Amino acid sequence: MSETLKQEYQRDTLKRVKLPNFAGIFSIKKLMNLTIPFIFPLVLLGLWQLASDKGWIAEQILPAPAVVYQSFLDLIDSGVLLEHLIGSLTRVGIAFVIASILGVGLGIFLGISRRAEAYIAPLFEVYAQTPVIAWIPIGLLLFGISEKLAVALITIAAIVPIIMNTYKGVRYISKNYLEIGNVYAFTRWQTIFLIVIPAALPSIFNGLRYGLTQAWLTLVAAELVGIDRGIGAMIVEARNLFQLDIVLVAIITLGIVGLVLDKLFVLVERRFLHWQRRGL
Amino acid sequence: MTVNKQNYFVYLPWRGIVFPVILILIWQLIYLAKIANPVFLPSVFAVIEQGHRLIDNGQLWEGLKASLYRDLVGLSIAIFLGVSIGIALGVSRLAGKVFLPTFNTIKQVSPFALIPLLSFWFGLHEPAKIAFIVVSSVFPIMINTYEGVRGIAFDYVEVGRVYKMTTFQLLRKIILPAATPSIFRGLHLGVFFSWLGTVGAEYFFTAGAGLGNIIVDGRNSSRMDLVLFGVFVIGITGYLLNIGLSYAEKRLLHWQIQKQ
Amino acid sequence: MTQQGTLNFSQVNKQFNSNNGNLKVLQDINLEIKSGEFISVVGSSGCGKSTLLRLIIGLDAEYEGAIELDGNIISGTDLNRGIVFQEHRLLPWLNVAQNIAIALQNAQLSQEEKHKTVQEHIDLVGLQGFEKSYPHQISGGMSQRVAIARGLVNRPRVLLLDEPFGALDALTRTRLQNELQNIWEKEGITMILVTHDVEEAVFLGNRVVVMEPRPGRIKSVLDVDLPFPRDRTSYDFLKIKKEVLKEFGGHLAAEISHAEAPVWSTGEYKLSW
Repeated sequence: MSETLKQEYQRDTLKRVKLPNFAGIFSIKKLMNLTIPFIFPLVLLGLWQLASDKGWIAEQILPAPAVVYQSFLDLIDSGVLLEHLIGSLTRVGIAFVIASILGVGLGIFLGISRRAEAYIAPLFEVYAQTPVIAWIPIGLLLFGISEKLAVALITIAAIVPIIMNTYKGVRYISKNYLEIGNVYAFTRWQTIFLIVIPAALPSIFNGLRYGLTQAWLTLVAAELVGIDRGIGAMIVEARNLFQLDIVLVAIITLGIVGLVLDKLFVLVERRFLHWQRRGL
Repeated sequence: MTVNKQNYFVYLPWRGIVFPVILILIWQLIYLAKIANPVFLPSVFAVIEQGHRLIDNGQLWEGLKASLYRDLVGLSIAIFLGVSIGIALGVSRLAGKVFLPTFNTIKQVSPFALIPLLSFWFGLHEPAKIAFIVVSSVFPIMINTYEGVRGIAFDYVEVGRVYKMTTFQLLRKIILPAATPSIFRGLHLGVFFSWLGTVGAEYFFTAGAGLGNIIVDGRNSSRMDLVLFGVFVIGITGYLLNIGLSYAEKRLLHWQIQKQ
Repeated sequence: MTQQGTLNFSQVNKQFNSNNGNLKVLQDINLEIKSGEFISVVGSSGCGKSTLLRLIIGLDAEYEGAIELDGNIISGTDLNRGIVFQEHRLLPWLNVAQNIAIALQNAQLSQEEKHKTVQEHIDLVGLQGFEKSYPHQISGGMSQRVAIARGLVNRPRVLLLDEPFGALDALTRTRLQNELQNIWEKEGITMILVTHDVEEAVFLGNRVVVMEPRPGRIKSVLDVDLPFPRDRTSYDFLKIKKEVLKEFGGHLAAEISHAEAPVWSTGEYKLSW
């Protein structure tokens, strides 16, 4: 009985291997992996082109790809796209740095001190669930439209996942590691710096990564309030002038730059966490 | 030193309230000391009074109802799309490879950037708002569901295969239960982002009633007390939505060892 | 060599208090351990042998009676008592050399001396060449060797080993038992090894302490009067092994599920203020 099950199981397993096994196949597989991600976008692009060629969708609702591409080139040539991009990136950069420092610090504090957790965590949970939009009117009345407001809004949003993940990472460290510190007579500070923080580092980096994503997402909302330099500003301007093609350029830029930022972060993370076992 | 579990639960809520109460006291003291401009920092009582007014004239209830309705409709659509697509991508490795990179890029685009597009495509009223909410919340749900399905220990799947389960049985009995923790992680994010989307939609597509509209009104009339009350209600509602989800989660995942 | 590493247990009792009642974990433990001895403690699950080790190392301080190291009652942890756990508990973010060095964090040695002794111990456990490797890159057996080196690097007066080879495959286990015996003969440090493997206990120990559960107490102490290095297949060895096995009689040891291990938070762990 078990023999037949085993045979069937092996047969099933083999079914999943799609490519035959001979030399030279490795590079073909790599090539496939490199191109597969582009299939879907290309199909969408094709559909888009088709839709505008056949006039299925009105020009005002969705401009043709060629128009968008031309606008893209124009924006690069005139340096406008770069200018807006730099404005946005600086804003995100500053906000992210502030959020990281404050967030990690506060997260560690909450994770270590049970008392602090009991007093502060509930309020923090309510704060964490408050959409950043809600702070805009307050910010407007306090700061008016300004760079400070934009950076503050992004920080407010980005700091949440950073604190959350850092706090959880520190709080739930394996007792096994803490006991090692105890066995070797570590002081409280030694335990924190030599054991707690390194052990929590994967969680901290996870939080920072989410924080970066949040910052990039909040950027547009922060800029929509009326900043004059930035991708969000570009969108507002284009919308007012009914230039949907420019809006689309902005959207695509947001997506790609966001993706690049994320991938760069993962590279940095890998460098710091090289000691982690490569899990699933 | 062990804290008696019974006592601990009596302890906890009170300690959580201390800090906010202290903040409110400080706030009121600053107001009374006239340090800040009263336009920017109204009295705590003024805010409470605004609250009373809104409750009395029914505006609060109307706004809450409208916002929650929008939120839940958008969230339901997002959950339906997100979970089903997430499972589909997770089960079929090929589909995952084809579609996921694009979704990972799209998720980097702030829904706020899509407002112009959405307003041209859906108009300025409810449909646009709901679309905005869906766009805000679908990706976290989708991606976490996908990761939950993909990340299942292959051991469990092999058990199913050994007993010759059909794909559907495999899905129901093994994959979904094992992926549920991840799915709930996605749902938590979904609840958060849908609430964010709701308030955002009300802020930027201003036609209609909603909690977001309350703070827009406050901003337009420069009434900080109204704004603050609105923020308070928005924050508490978001928090309660999340707690509601956690409660449902605890019931469903009772088999997991809970880390407290 | 001075008379170091003598341990004395007088009327050691421990009970675990919970809402569901009191569980007596250790009862009337009396034992004298001489300097340089190798003591094996055998018993089935739940006989308190691991708890005993935790009391000696100082991770647990609530008990009645007295445990004395060289005449001084122990309190808390100290670098003069070392331990090797069943899980290697190497810190994943440190390489092999750093993991051993971390034991010297609070030792009164100069940087140079520390470096030297770390290298000595890497050689002692046979891991030359792997100084810069990380835990995820080395096998389970190698990781346990690092743990042993880490346990010894402080030159403790007594080394405790809590089922150190339990998580390893049989072949590696045998090899490491041999190596441990060599190290013990060379260094002369008092060692207490806890195991549920009777053969391991007889192979390594001068004396075998048999414990029985519920409540955990010492049933008997048998001498293993065999020359070193030991031969697992000799008639005398098997005779003693049989004697020890007889101590276990016919009683079945219930497997205690560890599913409800208490979860610790960092704050609870002596860090809250």
